Amino acid sequence: MHSPELLKGTLQTIVLKVLGDHGRMYGYEITQRVKELSGGTIALTEGALYPALHKLEADGLLNTEVVTIGKRVRKYYTLTADGVVLSRDRVSEFLEFIRTMSQVLQVELNA
Amino acid sequence: MKLTDDHIAYIRKDLLYRGLVLESLQDEIVDHICSAVEEAMRDDGKRFIDAYHDVLRSFGSTSGLRMVQKQTLLHENLKPNRMLRNYLTIAWRNLHRHSFYTAINVIGLATGLAACLVMVLFIMDELRYDQYNDKADRIYRLEAEVKLGDTHFFINTRSAPEGLALQEELPEVESFVRLRTLGSYLVKPENGSENTQEKRVAWADSTFFKIFSVPVLEGNAATALKQPSSVAISRSLAQKYFPNTSALGKVLVLDNNYHAKVTAVYEDMPVASHFHFDILISMIGHWPVTREAAAVNWVAENFVTYILLKPGANAQDLERKFPAFMAKHLGPELAKAYGNDFTMEKFFSVGNVYRVYMRPLTDIHLYSDVRGELEPNGNITYVYLFAVIAGFILVIACINFMNLATARSGSRAKEVGVRKVMGSLRSHLMRQFLTESILITSAAVLIAVGIATGFLPVFNNLSAKSLELPWQSLWFYIVLLVAAGGVGVLAGIYPAFFLSAFRPVNVLKGRGNGMAKSGVIRSALVVFQFVISVFMIVSALTVNRQMQFIQNKKLGFDKEQVIIVHDAYALRPNNVEPFKNEGLKSGAIESATISGHVPVEGDFSWRSNSSFWSEGVDAAAPENIVSMQNWSVDYDYIKTFRLHVSQGRDFSADFLSDSSAVILNKTAVDRFGLGDNPIGKRILTFRNLSDLDLHNTTSFTVIGVIDDFHFSSMKRDIAPLGLFLNKSDGNVSFRFKSDRTAEAIQHISSAWKRLAVGQPFQYSFLDEDFGNMYRAEQRLGQIFSIFAGLAIIIACLGLFALTAFTAGQRTKEIGIRKVLGASVGSIVLLLSRDFGKLVVIAFVIAAPLAWYAANWWLKGYTYKTEIGVLVFIIAGSVTFIIAMATMSYQSIKAAGTNPVESLRAD
Repeated sequence: MHSPELLKGTLQTIVLKVLGDHGRMYGYEITQRVKELSGGTIALTEGALYPALHKLEADGLLNTEVVTIGKRVRKYYTLTADGVVLSRDRVSEFLEFIRTMSQVLQVELNA
Repeated sequence: MKLTDDHIAYIRKDLLYRGLVLESLQDEIVDHICSAVEEAMRDDGKRFIDAYHDVLRSFGSTSGLRMVQKQTLLHENLKPNRMLRNYLTIAWRNLHRHSFYTAINVIGLATGLAACLVMVLFIMDELRYDQYNDKADRIYRLEAEVKLGDTHFFINTRSAPEGLALQEELPEVESFVRLRTLGSYLVKPENGSENTQEKRVAWADSTFFKIFSVPVLEGNAATALKQPSSVAISRSLAQKYFPNTSALGKVLVLDNNYHAKVTAVYEDMPVASHFHFDILISMIGHWPVTREAAAVNWVAENFVTYILLKPGANAQDLERKFPAFMAKHLGPELAKAYGNDFTMEKFFSVGNVYRVYMRPLTDIHLYSDVRGELEPNGNITYVYLFAVIAGFILVIACINFMNLATARSGSRAKEVGVRKVMGSLRSHLMRQFLTESILITSAAVLIAVGIATGFLPVFNNLSAKSLELPWQSLWFYIVLLVAAGGVGVLAGIYPAFFLSAFRPVNVLKGRGNGMAKSGVIRSALVVFQFVISVFMIVSALTVNRQMQFIQNKKLGFDKEQVIIVHDAYALRPNNVEPFKNEGLKSGAIESATISGHVPVEGDFSWRSNSSFWSEGVDAAAPENIVSMQNWSVDYDYIKTFRLHVSQGRDFSADFLSDSSAVILNKTAVDRFGLGDNPIGKRILTFRNLSDLDLHNTTSFTVIGVIDDFHFSSMKRDIAPLGLFLNKSDGNVSFRFKSDRTAEAIQHISSAWKRLAVGQPFQYSFLDEDFGNMYRAEQRLGQIFSIFAGLAIIIACLGLFALTAFTAGQRTKEIGIRKVLGASVGSIVLLLSRDFGKLVVIAFVIAAPLAWYAANWWLKGYTYKTEIGVLVFIIAGSVTFIIAMATMSYQSIKAAGTNPVESLRAD
């Protein structure tokens, strides 16, 4: 498990990227998908995910869609046009960050 | 494994119990937990309740859940639009709940804003006069201040050679243009048969289009008025006489005499111009006016002259050169007239003034009221006055708003207290109250625009303007928006401060109402409202009384039952007398007179002024010269207008010598110093006006004296006047018998058609012409009445709501009083007394202010009404009665309620 401090700055990036790759998703699905991708090393806490989703929605980066299943109400998220652009920017920004970090820390990537 | 509905319901309830209340999050969390629980039950084979608690734990249990909720809420609430929506929702609910106060607020404010809007349109229209000229800042009109003995006046006509001489001799002057107006002309196209009267005609120099920015549509602006016998005409005139063809090169006939070729068609002059001419006649050629324009005579002053300064030239420097300039040119000519020992120095040393000055073009409309104005001008005083009234009405409306808001504070005190306890900051509350007031003002602005649209035609009718709301202008909308926001903040800021300052401990303990009652500021505001109302009522009454005074004043002539047929010179040369005699054949006509001079001012009524002196005085001394109106009349003039001969006799055909006789009015007798027995004495004047030679004079014997009569506006003193027996065929006036008006007109018009074939029959009634002289003042009176009415309506709306509010607050007190035996009357008195007092105080403050203002306005009149106590009594009682009536509705309603109703409540 990675430390929560490391995850904090990348939460939005992860959410945006996952939504971008996968299209329509609901909250629980996102956590499961991230867990699966990280081989169980990253578990998004619900406490961080929902505020982040609501913030992204309020900023106009996410669209929502509500589907009623029996007594349950499921809220799906998709990227807006702005969200798609931001997702791409965030990912490349993060890659740049990793490259810089590798130089700073004097380690080879792809090792 | 799928969860059952019971499971879901359990989770939902449990989460709510744990404090998850945020609607937008609830569904989502429920779904999330359900999914996780299902997975745990499926993968690990757990029981529902164990799986649920495991999942909850991964959320951080209850505190974790609440943290998620808090975090989400924080993100959402930081968005400004959500905050705004919250404010708006609460504001809307509040306004809706108190729809009575809201309605009064909106209506009062809308009325005030509409009035304000109309006033602002009026003011803007007045201020943009002559601004259409590109060179407006360099164009000046020449004017002169003249003081000769007793006569003192300002005049805008200059001598013919002055403009050219200025341009040639003074380097600052780039160009000049002269205009000469001579009343109306009868106009027809060359091969037409019917004449039409055209009033907007001027003779003009060819530089007209170079100096004024009037676009020329056809023809060449540079050469248009340079050819002899040519005219330039406006687009609408061209369409009128030459429909569907080009007017260029066509010929117009003026006064059946002058044939003039159209060399240019120009766009109609803008409404906001101090002159509007449809025909401009060239000043080159051999017609009388053009000869006068070419003559070098510095004494005859008949041309309105405008000069264009070079860019960068200093107007003050130029003006300083005028005295020397005038002395050089006018001096020798005056010396010739008055004898050789005349010098300008001597002329000035006895207190005479002759000063030429320049008036900026854009000042003419609002600041100028000199002799010879081309059209009636506006008045800057009225612009200021209207601005002040507009401001006052807006302030009254805003005051209503503040008063109602603070008065209602009692009922909102608890709300403020609870909000503060719940953690609301003062700034939140202020924003809340400001949102409410901006909501109200926005609604009011919308309604105001509606009211203004409906009211503008009425106002246009009153003010003789054609104002429109500028729908196409972006600025209009910006101003409306700013007004909604600005007035909203202005009117809402005091209540916002006031209400948000409540201390929660006090208001929740029930001591908040004390603040609502301590309305010193509120009382002051009510007083202020009524001060303005009383002031406006007194002003309106004064103006209307003065108008009534003028209508009813003994004029010295009888203005009723006289019909004046204009432009009688169309009957020349042989038909003027026959027309008069033909008219007299009808039994409906009592008498008739031929004279261009009639005892009212108007564009058909002639005036001529000349210098006279009595026999035996030193005519070389300017103080002995009397500047007197000399009117040419016939034998029937005094009889027809019913002037009163107090000494001597009327003109009579029995005396051949009457051709060199004069009948003076009393003022003239005094001015000449003819004493108590003027009959038989003689007065002299120059024989030839273009050659002022003291040795070449002619004399007239006084045969009669008439009482002074008001032949010009009552703003001025009655001037000296002499009636001379002479031909003057401008108008023919008929006195007809009462109740036979239609018959008289019928008869006269058929006589005109027989004798003046193809000429327009133009007539007016003397009493209407008299009324027209005071049109501007009548308008002022009407406008004042309307806005005074508005002011008091708005003030009373406020009072109405305030009484309703106090009555509401004192319901219980009233109930108890009634139970103890108070009568309805005593309770009405109790409720009305406080505000009644305020109205009385307002009256006491307003009365002296209004008296001062009314006096100031009346100063403009030589003949005026007394302001009198009556005006104040009327204004005071009107205000008081209206205010009382407004309040009594609410008070009686409150007093009439059954005490059981009010006391049962709690």
